[in-house]
Amino acid sequence: MIHQHDVILIGGGLTGLRAALQIKEAGLDGAVISKVHPLRSHSVAAQGGMNASLGNVEGEGGIKDSWQNHAYDTVKGSDYLADQDAVELMCREAPRTVIELEHMGMVWSRLENGKIAQRPFGGAGFPRTCYAADRTGHNALHTLYENMVGREIPVYEEFYLTSLVIDEGRCVGCTALEIVTGEVHGFQARAVLLATGGFGRIYDRSTNALINTGEGTSLALEAGAQLKDMEFVQFHPTTLYGTNILITEGARGEGGILLNKDGKRFMEGYAPRTRDLAARDVISRAMEQEIAEGRAYPGGYLYLDLRHLGPDKIKERLPGIRQIAMDFAGVDPIEEKIPVQPGQHYSMGGVDVDMGGATSIPGLYAAGECACISVHGANRLGGNSLLETVVFGRLVADRIIEDVYSINFTEKEPIKTAMINMDIKIGNILSREEGEHLFQIREAMTRTMSQGFGILREKQDMQENLQEIKKLQKQLPLVSIQNSKRELNQALVRFLELEGMLLLSEAVARSAIAREESRGSHFRTDYPERDDINFLKHTLIDLKDDEMRVSYKPVKLGMFEPEERVY
Amino acid sequence: MIKVNPKIKVYRFNHEMESPDYDTFEVELHPGMTVLSALFQIQDKYDDSLAFRYSCRGAVCGTCAMLINKVPRLACRSQVEDLLKDKVPETVADEDISMAGEDISWNPQEEVLVEPLPHLPVIRDLVVDMELFFQYYRLVEPTFRPAGPDPEKERLMDPGAVKELGVYTNCILCGACHAACPVVGENPEYLGPAALAKLYRFYIDPREAEGDSRLEKGDIPNGWWACESYGDCYRVCPRNVPPIVAIRQAINQLNKWK
Repeated sequence: MIHQHDVILIGGGLTGLRAALQIKEAGLDGAVISKVHPLRSHSVAAQGGMNASLGNVEGEGGIKDSWQNHAYDTVKGSDYLADQDAVELMCREAPRTVIELEHMGMVWSRLENGKIAQRPFGGAGFPRTCYAADRTGHNALHTLYENMVGREIPVYEEFYLTSLVIDEGRCVGCTALEIVTGEVHGFQARAVLLATGGFGRIYDRSTNALINTGEGTSLALEAGAQLKDMEFVQFHPTTLYGTNILITEGARGEGGILLNKDGKRFMEGYAPRTRDLAARDVISRAMEQEIAEGRAYPGGYLYLDLRHLGPDKIKERLPGIRQIAMDFAGVDPIEEKIPVQPGQHYSMGGVDVDMGGATSIPGLYAAGECACISVHGANRLGGNSLLETVVFGRLVADRIIEDVYSINFTEKEPIKTAMINMDIKIGNILSREEGEHLFQIREAMTRTMSQGFGILREKQDMQENLQEIKKLQKQLPLVSIQNSKRELNQALVRFLELEGMLLLSEAVARSAIAREESRGSHFRTDYPERDDINFLKHTLIDLKDDEMRVSYKPVKLGMFEPEERVY
Repeated sequence: MIKVNPKIKVYRFNHEMESPDYDTFEVELHPGMTVLSALFQIQDKYDDSLAFRYSCRGAVCGTCAMLINKVPRLACRSQVEDLLKDKVPETVADEDISMAGEDISWNPQEEVLVEPLPHLPVIRDLVVDMELFFQYYRLVEPTFRPAGPDPEKERLMDPGAVKELGVYTNCILCGACHAACPVVGENPEYLGPAALAKLYRFYIDPREAEGDSRLEKGDIPNGWWACESYGDCYRVCPRNVPPIVAIRQAINQLNKWK
């Protein structure tokens, strides 16, 4: 079956839904495709908040926040790899974006005077992070979905993106697997927006939802788009030991502190001024060092102590964290310390796009975590990702609205061909009778990525692990799935996810090996210094004839000259 | 610590089968293992045709609600060991919450029984069709309708009002309450606790224009009035949302008018 819509939005998280509302507002026919019900998207799990220089809470000495301060913190946090024009745009748009969500009905936490509350966050010079207790993503996503329902915007739920269709150099639609029936559908569109989120599941310790497998990013690469800055993977300092569920930075924003085995507040030694609220890459590396030097608990964890905040503050500002600690670690933070360790959290890299979210393929756009525009550079600040999703969900939709007026639907043939090809591919996958186990390859991949491309990286080690990824890619076609039925075959979906993830793993690996310096989240033990002369530039990856190629392009500087990054 | 490996007894169904069946799998227990991770172990190692929904694995997205030992709960939040000891989470009453379904026996010392959510059609194994549930959600028109045009800045809100609203905005629409409610079981046209709690959330939002019309929306035989105050909705809710309180308060208000 071929469906036709002006705009296809792939992904039902904050970016996809915000864009869909904008497309509808412009009188165009947009439809969302999502591998899960939109409310199950990973945006729902975002805890701490959204940065905007509303200035509702004054900084130290009674100074009021401004978008310029926000931009400075973001660029410094990025270790100067963010494009400053994109950062400026995001920070200027931030206050309006928070208020726009409020106008749509989102419930934000409030100050006594009734204004939206703001809390301190890592790497930020002002209490800038607007929040809804520790369920900011939940409140935002439900609000956007409620607005979608009110406007009757169509959603293809539980449709898994299988390919992007390119005809004469232009993206004219996509194919997707309807998971429940197993049928391949075609989608014809005048523009396609990728909003598929991050790819954290290429690592074994990740805060990401199990669905965050990055197929939008890998399929864009296969379709001929370029990926940017893939080596920059964020490791969040505080993930719950055991399950790696996120413990928000807001917990430290509210006054929580990190302790090692000796009960010492170790961040004082690494970031004397900002201590537990230094940027995430700084804290994760400090924790890694504490672990390596034997000052952590067996198994490799440290403690986050919230007890001194008292029961009232914990219950009011961090109720979700308390629930998570009790449910998944059997620890009540009011009475006990929380065992934490660093874990993969965010993909700074993604599909290379211009300021309007356009990829190098006409008709194909990307926004949110799957894209790299780039506002986060080498390290993202907490509270900037929720902001990015909603700001660029709206702005990229505006760009699409402008662009599609000159674009007409073309013939359906290329879509039909793509559907037939996908159908044959799926048939082949399901007909293999003997072979490797899918989960063994997946586990080997996540282990390999954590070993070789974690917080600390080194050439020899990375090269060996890249070879391992290449080996796994070769084994993948030998995998057999026992269930040969088309209907609701989750093994099939997980196979397709794994295929894309192995490609993304290679992109991360090649980008990381080529960058012979340390910047933001990318730390090379063999090149421990930042090298602005040779590497103040974005890494690009493209795929031609099954070969990945690394190239570079300049960073857009502007208001802020690169300087040493001290917290 | 449990010495022997536990068993997971799973409901199986697909459209080629005349009637549902149960399969039992022995799983390798690790500390803190949840029912969701046990299901993944089965899918990975024993039977890749087993179907179940999942997403966040951290009890915030509402995807993996299922009937576990005859009580609707999130698979990602239910630990296998606790279930074996029959240590029921505090929010769930001791008595069997009259879960629908056939009489099926299982040994709670050694086995965990996992079935799909009741009151919704089964698509395959543990996957149910949530369409009816979301149809009622849409029916209450869950879209914010503000009083007056948007101001330049945010509308001001009293922190106390935010706290009260938070009780209901916390709902993750997992469907556990819908599955637990005996009234839903008897009367499939009842809007159910989740949809009514959502309606109430808009009714009490001080920024809304038309609180009263929100109340009236549920003033139908299958709305507020159909609730029989069992309270199972609150007892099974993984987020402590109390639909029963919302419904009782809505009814009190309507009674004042009449």
